[in-house]
Amino acid sequence: MIRTNKFARLLALLFAFTLVAAACGDSSDDATGDDTETDETTEGEETTTTLEEVTTTAPPAPDVEEGSTGGNLIWAHEQEPPDMHLDDPNNNLSVTSWVRSALIEGLYGITGATEYYPELLDGEAAVTANDDGSVQIDFTLRDGLMWSDGTPLTSADVEYTHNILVEGCDLDDDGSIVDGTGEGCVYLIGDRTGLDLVTSFTANSDTEFTIVMSQFYAGWKGLYNEVYAAHAYGDDAAAVNANLPEWANADGVLPSSGPMVFDTWDRGVQMTMVRNDAYHGSNSPDAVNPGVAFVDGVQINFVADTDTQINSLKAGEAHIVMTQPQLAFGERLSTDENFTVASSAGPVFEHWGLNLLNVHLSDPLVREALVLGIDKTEVMAGLYTPLFGDTLPAEGLGNTFWMSNQGPYEDHQAQYEGKQSDEARANLEAAGYADSGDGIYEHPENGRLTLRVGTTGGNALRELQQQLIQAQLADAGFEIVIDNVDGGAYFGERPFSEEALAAANSGGAEGDPTIWDITQFAWVGGPWPGGQAPAYITAAGNNAYGYSNADFDARVPECNATIDDAERAACYNELDTYVTTLDVDAENGLFMIPLTQKPSYYGYLSSVLSGAGVAPDAQGAGPLANVVDFQFK
Amino acid sequence: MQGGPDGPALIRSILAHSVRSPLDAHVAGEPHPTILGTSLFIFAVRRLITAIPVLIIATFATFWATSYVVDPTDKLALCTTCDESAYDRIIELYELDKPVPLRYTSWLGDFVTGDMGQATSQGERPVSDIFWERGLNTLYLAGPAFILLIILGTFTGIYSALRQYSLGDYAITSVSYLGLAMPTFFFGLLLQVVFAIWVPKYLGFKPFWSSGLHLESPLQFLRSVTLPVMTLMFVLLAGDSRFIRAAVLDIKSADYIRTARAKGVSERKVITKHLFRNAMIPAVTLWSLNAAGLFGGSLITETIFSWPGFGRLLLDATFAGDLDLTMAIVFAITSLVVIFNLLADLLYGVLDPRIRYD
Repeated sequence: MIRTNKFARLLALLFAFTLVAAACGDSSDDATGDDTETDETTEGEETTTTLEEVTTTAPPAPDVEEGSTGGNLIWAHEQEPPDMHLDDPNNNLSVTSWVRSALIEGLYGITGATEYYPELLDGEAAVTANDDGSVQIDFTLRDGLMWSDGTPLTSADVEYTHNILVEGCDLDDDGSIVDGTGEGCVYLIGDRTGLDLVTSFTANSDTEFTIVMSQFYAGWKGLYNEVYAAHAYGDDAAAVNANLPEWANADGVLPSSGPMVFDTWDRGVQMTMVRNDAYHGSNSPDAVNPGVAFVDGVQINFVADTDTQINSLKAGEAHIVMTQPQLAFGERLSTDENFTVASSAGPVFEHWGLNLLNVHLSDPLVREALVLGIDKTEVMAGLYTPLFGDTLPAEGLGNTFWMSNQGPYEDHQAQYEGKQSDEARANLEAAGYADSGDGIYEHPENGRLTLRVGTTGGNALRELQQQLIQAQLADAGFEIVIDNVDGGAYFGERPFSEEALAAANSGGAEGDPTIWDITQFAWVGGPWPGGQAPAYITAAGNNAYGYSNADFDARVPECNATIDDAERAACYNELDTYVTTLDVDAENGLFMIPLTQKPSYYGYLSSVLSGAGVAPDAQGAGPLANVVDFQFK
Repeated sequence: MQGGPDGPALIRSILAHSVRSPLDAHVAGEPHPTILGTSLFIFAVRRLITAIPVLIIATFATFWATSYVVDPTDKLALCTTCDESAYDRIIELYELDKPVPLRYTSWLGDFVTGDMGQATSQGERPVSDIFWERGLNTLYLAGPAFILLIILGTFTGIYSALRQYSLGDYAITSVSYLGLAMPTFFFGLLLQVVFAIWVPKYLGFKPFWSSGLHLESPLQFLRSVTLPVMTLMFVLLAGDSRFIRAAVLDIKSADYIRTARAKGVSERKVITKHLFRNAMIPAVTLWSLNAAGLFGGSLITETIFSWPGFGRLLLDATFAGDLDLTMAIVFAITSLVVIFNLLADLLYGVLDPRIRYD
């Protein structure tokens, strides 16, 4: 016989040693707030000393008293920023902005209700319309604003930020940058809308400054949504481009104006931030804590898999997750008393966009039949309501400009609510279609009513939504073929392909109008919804739908130029009626079908963490939006 | 699937294959006296040279496929207000204004001169930095997993074959089938639940981290590496164990084993000198494939355990259209396959002196 006793013993000994060593180790992995102590060596290297002994229950309880300060908040998230230069068109991941939201503040912030609030400002800026059509905006900064390195934050920082954003850009005669090309500009940002209207920037004092714009720009509050430190971010735009990716200059990490200061980044593993003890306090109406953050720091663990995120929470290795709505979270976390799972109306809203050059969809009766055949209420009930309750309107969305949780929201597709298959078929018959025998309608000239709907593949929730609507529309006489493309190439290959855009911009005279029929995509909403309008203007570069209406084209700049907030909001609602109804454009209207607003979803270890920091996040600012309020029990 | 009634036939087939076609050698009647001499060196050099076209084809196919599947400008498709500079930035960064073959030759030229390029999906850091960093992390997993795989696979396979139909054999066979049937992601998650959630909850201590790489101390490293190593190893171990069992069973009834016993050679010597050594020949083929798979990074295991190795990096780079990084990893994986196959071929000669390399 083979002698394996010694070998087996050795193996057993090794395994036993591993277990014993591990058990006798520590549980510093447990996200218990203050159980680790981080020392910074003179070389900047980090050593970690574990303090707490093993825990006896799961999830482990924190060693911090209720309401006390301290502890490290641990957030498990699936995405990792490629770098920290958010404005770089190559880096537009939302997680980058989520991380930066804890580090740096701007003139205006965005509330959980998706409205602007003065963040670094002392109050609302004063807007004055001049006789020549230009507009002057006077700003006043809050007193006592401070960078984390102790340097005061002043008007000079805002002016510096403006200069960086426009450095090198070709200028018009009036001093504003040339619109649309970004020619000569050095700072990496792909969208200078609004900035291209600024003709002058004057710092009047440390706290007061004025900008003049050649005309009113409705999104002006978002122009300086982050203010950079003149003394630290780089001497010029090229230096800023070089410093931002790693969030560091030659002297170390960049100073913060937010509640946290960047600390370390172990790529692929985690990123850490520490409390900004010089923080001037949050001005957000959602924030409860007016001072510096309660927690000592934040650690972001990059955990790619959803189930691992849940295990990480259950193992006490993370406190909070915030991710795409997924069934696994509801199933595994919502039933656990140690966790709180919650949701709010998120900033992402889904649409079906219709190709007006399609032989079927070019007929308004067919488009109306399509929306009549869709039962958004059933989609909501099937996909969202069981998980997210009444966070979202049960009847789905009816507006492409405003989201359901915003004040000016109006449901413009209310008349199509519920499944109206009979009405849909009546519409089709009125358009010359007839049942081909299998329930699907057919046109004598245009053929069978088959339409492809496509989007980026791999999103389970979105694909389920498509299947639900596919079944609904079959009852209405439509044959819907799902035509998704995996790997993120869908938009480039279908609606925004060169051939498709050429067709859309030429009314079908050029290019290929048959590449796509219906596209499913999402807008990311904000306090100013005017960014959507350019996609619907006649022959605009990104107008893939082939929509053309001179009245709409003329109304867009009028809306954008309306200074009064309420009037402007009403104006955008008026624009939406062109897009989502046949009321004002009976021929080409109703080419967008808003479907649902996605909820923002988060779960946190409520046995350890106070819920104060987990504030509504309709603006999609991520879980660190109100990081000042997180507190361990 | 290895093992079972077809096991011996499969082993014979692999034996024949491993002796002839991959080696381009022949079985001689006598042991070759210069097995580790000049002919071996020439053989190795010849194999490495023939690997060059393989590497070129593999990298070009990857380059071409990635270039056509991923369009980096897609990320701007829904930006209605982005100006031309945004597109220019992406086009410049990914050299989208050049045809794919030209971009490939440009990449190849840089690569062979030591410039692996910039990782556009990683903040434009040098690919070489990321490559070694992540390669080391993968090594942390693959090294222990491979060593344990060889030890445990050999031990359980031989034990199972020598004690055929014993309780131990049935136990090992059952566990092997379980391993073969269990998807990696499920086994990984199961380990997390058991060791990071249930053990702390019911036993009061927490032996291992559920995920992540921890390098704070050797002990923390051990706690973080154990579960992913177990996951990687267990799934492969099941197959290897069955494979070696079948190989040993096949050899156990060979004429030369019977002859050795008839000559009065001790059972221990029969096993260690004749049976074990011959059983290792097909196992080497399997291990070379295992090694290439392990050291090339495991996408599923690294994802489940949030392990920053090659597997996750390749996935991220591919989806981001990060060609330089994708190409570097593909090159590494292809090279590993070539190298481990070469090592296997060389080991055949050590294990079986009949094999010549001239």
